[in-house]
Amino acid sequence: MDVLLLFVSVIGLMLIGVPIAVSLGLSSIVFLLVLSDTSLGSVAQSFFQAMAGHYTLLAIPFFILASSFMSTGGVARRIIRFSIALVGHMHGGLAIAGVFACMLFAALSGSSPATVVAIGSIVIAGMRQVGYTKDFAAGVIANAGTLGILIPPSIVMVVYASATDVSVGRMFLAGVIPGLMAGTMLMITIYAIARVRNLPKGEWLGWGEVLSSGRDALWGLFLIVIILGGIYGGIFTPTEAAAVAAVYAFFIANFVYRDMGPLASKDGERNLTLLRKPIALVTAFFHRDTRDTLFDAGKLTITLMFIIANALILKHVLTDEQIPQQIAAAMLDAGLGPVMFLVIVNVILLIGGQFMEPSGLLVIVAPLVFPIAIELGIDPIHLGIIMVVNMEIGMITPPVGLNLFVTSGVAGMPMMSVVRAALPFLAVLFVFLIMVTYIPILSTWLPTTFMGPEIITR
Amino acid sequence: MGDGMSSHYQGHSAFGRFVNEIEETAIAVILGLMTLITFVNVVLRYGFNTGLIWGLEAVTILFAWLVLFGISYAVKVTAHLGVDAVINLVSPAARRVLAMIAAVICIVYAALLLKGAWDYWANFANLPQTTGRFFPTGFEEMKRTSYRSWYEVVDIPMPDWLRFIEPWINEGEAYEKLPRFIPYAILPFGAALLLFRFIQAGARIWRGDQQSLIVSHEAEDAVDDVAHMNRED
Repeated sequence: MDVLLLFVSVIGLMLIGVPIAVSLGLSSIVFLLVLSDTSLGSVAQSFFQAMAGHYTLLAIPFFILASSFMSTGGVARRIIRFSIALVGHMHGGLAIAGVFACMLFAALSGSSPATVVAIGSIVIAGMRQVGYTKDFAAGVIANAGTLGILIPPSIVMVVYASATDVSVGRMFLAGVIPGLMAGTMLMITIYAIARVRNLPKGEWLGWGEVLSSGRDALWGLFLIVIILGGIYGGIFTPTEAAAVAAVYAFFIANFVYRDMGPLASKDGERNLTLLRKPIALVTAFFHRDTRDTLFDAGKLTITLMFIIANALILKHVLTDEQIPQQIAAAMLDAGLGPVMFLVIVNVILLIGGQFMEPSGLLVIVAPLVFPIAIELGIDPIHLGIIMVVNMEIGMITPPVGLNLFVTSGVAGMPMMSVVRAALPFLAVLFVFLIMVTYIPILSTWLPTTFMGPEIITR
Repeated sequence: MGDGMSSHYQGHSAFGRFVNEIEETAIAVILGLMTLITFVNVVLRYGFNTGLIWGLEAVTILFAWLVLFGISYAVKVTAHLGVDAVINLVSPAARRVLAMIAAVICIVYAALLLKGAWDYWANFANLPQTTGRFFPTGFEEMKRTSYRSWYEVVDIPMPDWLRFIEPWINEGEAYEKLPRFIPYAILPFGAALLLFRFIQAGARIWRGDQQSLIVSHEAEDAVDDVAHMNRED
């Protein structure tokens, strides 16, 4: 029952507005000091080792940095232009292009709110201009933005892999098919709604526009090739791939797109070329924009890692006390099968995902449910994808989904209207969740094909 | 351009702005170094079939430095993530009470972390640990095993310009690798800063200058930056 007290204390502290990291850390520290012979010194040591001893987690700052350079460097704008050129002429074209742009951006960034902000701010304004209602626009973006954590690379997947010792590469591969599927399901739904409601369609701008916008966006999209190709080609570890991606994004943002750094110019004017100002090759490293982007990525890394480091202390408590094993035994005794277990996981994560930032939630729940799932014979990669999809949906489930908040801020409309606007698409994602939960092959086929069967070590 | 992403924090005094500049630049520089070292190591491996043997250890230590140094900054600018669903429901008066309680809890946390950080670091610097389980009740009697300044890291070589510390702390014996008390020093330093910033934040809440210690998601600043694009005319 001590453990129940531990969880009540974590949740209680969070609800009164204590930072998530401190809620996790303080509850676990007090628990350790009272009930075991652990000293504060060893708590501090494990805090240090959370960063210094976890090579996998090192990918997080680099992925965040790559995505920061990409968003600051104007890649969102170029991806949207490319998406519109490609599908803008269909019924509901701009909305479909919005989803497509979210999918592409999700492949560059690992975060859902970041995707909503980067794509939503531009696309929602654009959709309103050509006659969509603001509600429809917001509903589309709130949902499509959640793909940020499902389509690789994904920070949440790195956290899951690190919390449960599965391979990051496998998790990324496993996200590909579900990610494409969710995006396609959303696009088909929009198309159907567009036919029924006769929503505006754009003009076909010709293959020339597709090619030129595609070439422009290609520099950004090549990042996907570096990350996935690098990992699966066996060239880099995921951590190295992330660092290479960050350096690549820095060069693209500063020297190719030139929307930031020494070659950027004031609004409206054309950015300078490198030939006009070759010294930029040196100054870019010290430019204020570079420093600001590094700082922004660093700040986000710090807040995420503070949570993860404290959650690792909690994980330490859980492992010490053999909690997951006890729960697993109790569940097996009660005759609970994998199906019911997955339903319970779904419900816990849907509720938790409403309140909490996904990587924080995952690092708490994963160590708890992972051993049970293994006991029940559920594939660890499959479990990971289920958890990620659950958190996606948690983010847009009323009353308090995080993405709903972000969208309401970005679209400048009240929370309740966003909730109503997001509902039809939420239903689609729910169907998707059920499919992902009960058809494991959707997640496991690609990693098993490319990387061989999963070996489960207990 | 590069607009919209930068921080909204403005120091109140010249000194405040100076400190803020140092904190932000340190965060940027540490992350930049981590990225560069990792990248250079990849290039060396593929291009030149060699590598910096100390690269990985240096990057992981910098990672710990980044986070341990940065958490206090994130308290200062209220960037730590939390759950605001409940505190948004209650009256402003009740919210202030809850925020005060939260601040006290954070201060307790930081104090415990500081004691732990000191205890872990102290012996590596030939200093005494504190006694007591929750609260420091005094300093330990230094035993023979309490002098651990000779512990070194695994790969990072001792830089020559640091050799002046050897007579002070290692009885004049030369270090081959970096002594451990140097990378671990960030623990007590970062924890002390964290405690200081939580006390400051508590004082701001007490005075009514600040409503809470948390933000609900990481993109809150960015949302503010783009909100004007879709506001009703």
